[in-house]
Amino acid sequence: MQQLYLALAMFLLLNLGAGLWRVLRGPTAADRMLAAQLFGTTAVAVLLLLAQAFGEAALRDVALVFALLAPVTAVAFVRRLWPEQGNSRDTD
Amino acid sequence: MLLQSGFDVALGLGLLWVAWQALNSSDLFKAIVFFIAFGLLMALAWVRMDAPDIALAEAAIGAGVTGALLLGALARLRASNAGETTMGQAGNGQRRFMASRRLLWIPLLLMAAGLGYAVLSLPGYTPGLSAQVAANLGASGVSNPVTAVLLNFRGYDTLLELVVLLLALLGMWSMAGPAPPPSAEAAAVLDGLSRFLTPLVLLVAAYLLWVGTRAPGGAFQAGSLLGAAGVLLILAGWRANVASTALSLRLVLTAGPGVFVAVAAFSLLMSGQMLKYPPAYAGILILIIEIAATLSIGLTLAGLFLGGRPRGERKSP
Repeated sequence: MQQLYLALAMFLLLNLGAGLWRVLRGPTAADRMLAAQLFGTTAVAVLLLLAQAFGEAALRDVALVFALLAPVTAVAFVRRLWPEQGNSRDTD
Repeated sequence: MLLQSGFDVALGLGLLWVAWQALNSSDLFKAIVFFIAFGLLMALAWVRMDAPDIALAEAAIGAGVTGALLLGALARLRASNAGETTMGQAGNGQRRFMASRRLLWIPLLLMAAGLGYAVLSLPGYTPGLSAQVAANLGASGVSNPVTAVLLNFRGYDTLLELVVLLLALLGMWSMAGPAPPPSAEAAAVLDGLSRFLTPLVLLVAAYLLWVGTRAPGGAFQAGSLLGAAGVLLILAGWRANVASTALSLRLVLTAGPGVFVAVAAFSLLMSGQMLKYPPAYAGILILIIEIAATLSIGLTLAGLFLGGRPRGERKSP
């Protein structure tokens, strides 16, 4: 069973690599940000798999923290940078 | 076994590649996204190195505060660059920077050589101090060895770290005012999200603080979660009425280092040694310090995101 969990975690890690390609290529800032959001979800899944594979309950807390805080960066992006990405640069 | 090594190798190579991209990217936004990804991979790496405490801290600070802080800094940088048109000076500075960059290789190579020598001259295996920590864990007042080291055996390190955090905030307060609040009202989704998520984050922060005495967790992790809740509230447009909370704001900011120093002075008087707690009271003293430190860390991180000393509502033009 441990081998299965590890194989799945490995598969998810390789998926992160695919996401990194999207961050590298873009083309828009939103594409990059959404890829980073996807990383958060993937990391939660990897942590839960590792927690199960090695029987370490503390890793579930790490996954919980990642899951809870994932929206914070996205909100910061939308509220602080999003209008600046377009044409309207209204600085008052 | 093969799968474990494969996972670790892929993780290590990924970390190096992402770090290189974050440093090498000329687009600052791209660099920030790579840095966020680096934090995630680093948390996984800490897990693989059997350090769940650090993984937890990396997760809380990386996902909750650092990303938002960097994005906010970038927004402010763009706003100030849009206001200024000093192309000639910038070009000059750019050229001087490029020239000095070539010379930078020399000290960097020297430092790399020094670091390499130091790493290679390390003994191959040392038991470290973990045996001593395990032997004295009973007298520390907590059962999580990491918390025992941070708040009992090496308490003054943690005390000075709290002071460093406070100094960072004071330094920023002396330099700039807060970032302008977002022009648009928070949309219903964001408003709802912040109302729904903030209590949950507070609950998990309290859980991590409490569980830190016997399992991975503690003041820095819980404080980072509080800071993330503060970041979310600031982004949703929430502002405290500064005029009426100025004193309590400062009290909470200094509570962590203040309580720690008070305990240090108390233990100096009682036992003649700073931060040497009487074993019977060690547990409760550590908990009191951790609660104060959590509040201070949370408010300091949220204050760092605010971007400057909060001003009265209508004081500044």
